[in-house]
Amino acid sequence: MSDNTKLTFTPVIGIEIHIQLKTKSKVFCSCSADYTNDEPNSHICPVCMGLPGSMPVLNKSVIQQGMLAGMALNCTVQPTTYFFRKSYYYPDLPKNYQITQSDLPIAANGWLEIKDDAGNPKTIRINRLHLEEDVGKLHHSAADGRLEGAETSWVDYNRSGLPLAEIVSEPDVSSAREAVEYVTALRRRVRYAGASDVDLEKGMMRFDANVSVKCSDGRWGRRVEVKNMNSFRALERAIEYEIKRQSKILAEGGEVLQETRHWNDAKETTTASRVKEFYRKFIVEPDLPPLVVSPQWVEEVRGMLPEMPNEKAARYKEMGLSEIDAGVLTDSIDVAQYFEACVAAGANPLRAGNWVRTEVLRAVNDRQAGDRQVGEKQAGDRQFGVKDLPVKPDVLAELIRRIDDGKLSTTLAKNVFEGLLEGLSLDEAVKNSGAAEGGVNAGALEDLVSATLAANADVVGDIRSGKDTKGKKVKFLQGLIMRETKGQARPEEVAAAIESALANPENLK
Amino acid sequence: MELYELGVREIVEGVRGKKFSALEVFDECLHRTLACESEISALITTTADAGRAHARQIDERIAKGEPLGPLAGVPVILKDNICTHGIRTTAGSRILGRWAPPYSATVWDLLSSAGAVLLGKSNMDEFAMGNTCSTSAFGPTANPWDLSRVPGGSSGGSAASVAAGYVPFALGSDTGGSIRQPASYCGIYGLKPTYGLVSRYGLIAYGSSLDQIGPFTRSVQDMDLIMDILARHDPKDSTSVDKRIDFTRREEKGERPLKGKRVALVEEFRDFTLDPPIADAMKRLIRIFEEMGAEIVQVSLPTVARYAVACYYAIAASEAHTNLARFDGVRYGYRVTTASGLKDMFEEVRSKGFGAEVKSRIIAGTCLTEPVRSEEYYVAATRVRTLIAEEFKRAFENVDCILQPVTPSLPSKIGESDEDAMKGYESDLYTLPVNMAGLPGFSFCTGYSDSGLPVGLQLVGPRWSDKNLLDIGFELEKVLGAPKIAREITRGIA
Amino acid sequence: MKLGNDDVRAIAAEARLSLTDTELAGTVRYINNFLDMVDRFKELDLKDVEPFCFAETNVCPLREDVPAAFLRGEEILADRSDSTGAFFKVPRIMEE
Repeated sequence: MSDNTKLTFTPVIGIEIHIQLKTKSKVFCSCSADYTNDEPNSHICPVCMGLPGSMPVLNKSVIQQGMLAGMALNCTVQPTTYFFRKSYYYPDLPKNYQITQSDLPIAANGWLEIKDDAGNPKTIRINRLHLEEDVGKLHHSAADGRLEGAETSWVDYNRSGLPLAEIVSEPDVSSAREAVEYVTALRRRVRYAGASDVDLEKGMMRFDANVSVKCSDGRWGRRVEVKNMNSFRALERAIEYEIKRQSKILAEGGEVLQETRHWNDAKETTTASRVKEFYRKFIVEPDLPPLVVSPQWVEEVRGMLPEMPNEKAARYKEMGLSEIDAGVLTDSIDVAQYFEACVAAGANPLRAGNWVRTEVLRAVNDRQAGDRQVGEKQAGDRQFGVKDLPVKPDVLAELIRRIDDGKLSTTLAKNVFEGLLEGLSLDEAVKNSGAAEGGVNAGALEDLVSATLAANADVVGDIRSGKDTKGKKVKFLQGLIMRETKGQARPEEVAAAIESALANPENLK
Repeated sequence: MELYELGVREIVEGVRGKKFSALEVFDECLHRTLACESEISALITTTADAGRAHARQIDERIAKGEPLGPLAGVPVILKDNICTHGIRTTAGSRILGRWAPPYSATVWDLLSSAGAVLLGKSNMDEFAMGNTCSTSAFGPTANPWDLSRVPGGSSGGSAASVAAGYVPFALGSDTGGSIRQPASYCGIYGLKPTYGLVSRYGLIAYGSSLDQIGPFTRSVQDMDLIMDILARHDPKDSTSVDKRIDFTRREEKGERPLKGKRVALVEEFRDFTLDPPIADAMKRLIRIFEEMGAEIVQVSLPTVARYAVACYYAIAASEAHTNLARFDGVRYGYRVTTASGLKDMFEEVRSKGFGAEVKSRIIAGTCLTEPVRSEEYYVAATRVRTLIAEEFKRAFENVDCILQPVTPSLPSKIGESDEDAMKGYESDLYTLPVNMAGLPGFSFCTGYSDSGLPVGLQLVGPRWSDKNLLDIGFELEKVLGAPKIAREITRGIA
Repeated sequence: MKLGNDDVRAIAAEARLSLTDTELAGTVRYINNFLDMVDRFKELDLKDVEPFCFAETNVCPLREDVPAAFLRGEEILADRSDSTGAFFKVPRIMEE
């Protein structure tokens, strides 16, 4: 065996993603696409059960959603595309063939930009996005619910015939981390486009990865298809595992075989598929004429595509937001829209960005965490989102305007916000926050603090330059203000107002 | 005249005019059916009870003066690959055994809402693969004109039942001649409509791009009536074309009704031998056409003559192997409960459930579409098909229709078959090119051979010329006479 | 002969069909004759010929996305082999 200590291995990875497109009915029949929590086999008909004599009729929304997803991924929409019958025998596939566009797809030649492992921009090319039908769901009798060892399996065809988009990347991905970044970015854009809810918990996004490894001595391993990943974490771990496994084989002078392997989420390993790899045969689907999309329709759909997250983030940065804020605000289109509505209602973009990123998202997260704890969130329920928040963007804008106008201190504004979350009106919340009750109006307090600090510029200078190690100088300023308000102000409010003013000198009047 | 001898039009008029009731017609037809069935075996299922109940409903409507459908009270038989809700539909196969579909084919929805009354489901070659009606899992059907001979196939049961007077019309399906050839063997009319004119929804598919449902009748006017109901756009069939043809209107023509029409003969077909009665019928029909004012011309279809058979069987088998993949014993139909594993179960169900001819064609289709052979055979066949369709299109630029045989020979004896299946396939040369190009083909009876067997020929037209073919057929009927019922089979039985 | 017994058996297995020895002999003959028949295509230059498509049905019709339940699902379920629960039952999928 050769000295292999210096060998290095370069992974070459292509990702195939199945996404369930968001429609009301299935792709080739009118059965409802929403079967969550319903009885098994309660959403079936002659078409999605493949009964003799039944024929497919294509759902217009599927084409539209496919175009939207493709556009979101910078693909070109193909004017004429075809459907094929892909034959293989499996009990979750009612006709024993799947109707799929395969390699004459609705959208092709796209790309996404990610950061490589060194932090440099990198383009992942997308070969195509093609449409196809989903299969039914299998349940296995084995104790662990897995296929291996199961004496009996049961099929539920509710999922059979749901619309899927398969998105096939070029082998441009070089690491598990890049893979996760690619699918994260892709998921965000597809969700922005409204083409899919891409809810991973509901299996609306599934991953396969083609992994091969090139050895620095010029040897290549064969391509291994790893299947059955249903989460970002599984995708990451499966790729990491495969790279290690294949590198080890090459390092030991072995040969990596071309095969299909299944990711075992519980054991965190991949195992060679014992089911013989499906033998793929294609004929043109004679029951569906070629699909033609007119240039007018393509343009109409393009008009429906919202601004994508990268473009939004760039625009936010131009408004003066930090890269991090812009990133957080554009992660979900709902949050971005909330922020934009807030700005549109007159809020200062910087302060609005800050408020949405901190207070608004915290409120949403608290609510989601609470829902999880209470267990209210059933599989079918939509997760609580920013749209569900009782504080509407125009109200938040008004709150922010009051801060800017000096009518409310930031601290008090946060109290007011809590009141708004409980469903109070802005005026009620202000009243409840103590701003009015506490003798000194918040705006007045801020004015007083500004004036006091301005009059004691030397003390402020000392504090800023870090000379106030024991906090005596701050206490001195606090005493001045308490005296000025004749003891009406609350000490903790005064302290907070001073702290805030010191931290944000630009806010000093 | 017995009630069972009446045509569609006469029954509709008689029932409406209360000359007889729908139930009387149905019972007469049922009686005739039961009298002949032991000899002919045209039906897989007889729907006496449901049919009588439906006929009674129609009579009640008449009594109450309620509106009636255009086929009120007309008994009908459907080929057993046309799905009928709640009524066993087998496609002539053991694998569908006792399957009762939970839905109906569009054609049956159309007919039943027009008032047609189902008398039974007819025998057929298994999954419509065959031209003798002998590959059925339910045994062969006999030709009413000579019980020792085949009625043709695959829609042999439907053709035999119309010829024997069970019903005035029946439906069949035609993938490569399965309506026209049995119509010819049984001496009645059979129309294979333009592909896309009649909905295929609910037709158990064989070769989906070739299959088309069509009627058997004993008069051209009955054909008009039935086609007027069947030829409708169906949103459930994506290959159904939204194009309305009015089958009800027909101009009265004068002395030379085909004046100005150009009727073509295919040059290349002259090289093939025909049974003398068929060759004679061709000569006779040419003369009749000339007398009716038509101009007889030649067209050349060299690609059709040389490649159509191979191309047809390649495409039909390739599509069939996918259409028949769904029969695996999981969801419906024949199943076995003893298999220990899934693959064993699939193999056992399919190997026991399908007959020999079906298995052969499934294996052929699997073979031709294997990734290593697909380009060479399956994809090549789809390209050859383009050449065939273009050749027809060019031919029809200058002619109205083509006159040609349906088969090279008269019906063979039951049980006789070619050692080499491909030789049998060659005998479909006159019918299957029509399906390759999606054309309409109209098979009609010219008369009878010395041995008393019907002799049929066919007219083939460009796409959507179905009505024109029937118009010519209507003029021919005046000269040739309408097809007769094979009466004598009841001798000694009734 | 293009294909031998083993080839044909393998193709049959692909289509989930098992053949007896007698059936196999007949099927091997049938498939080879079939291939001889379709070998005719090789006489033609098909390079520039498009695969067939019906001109008039050249556009796939599209259905509006309106859900409508099939009301006789029970009749589909009635046909399953095992009536415990609303599932369709299949035997061991994974081969030993």
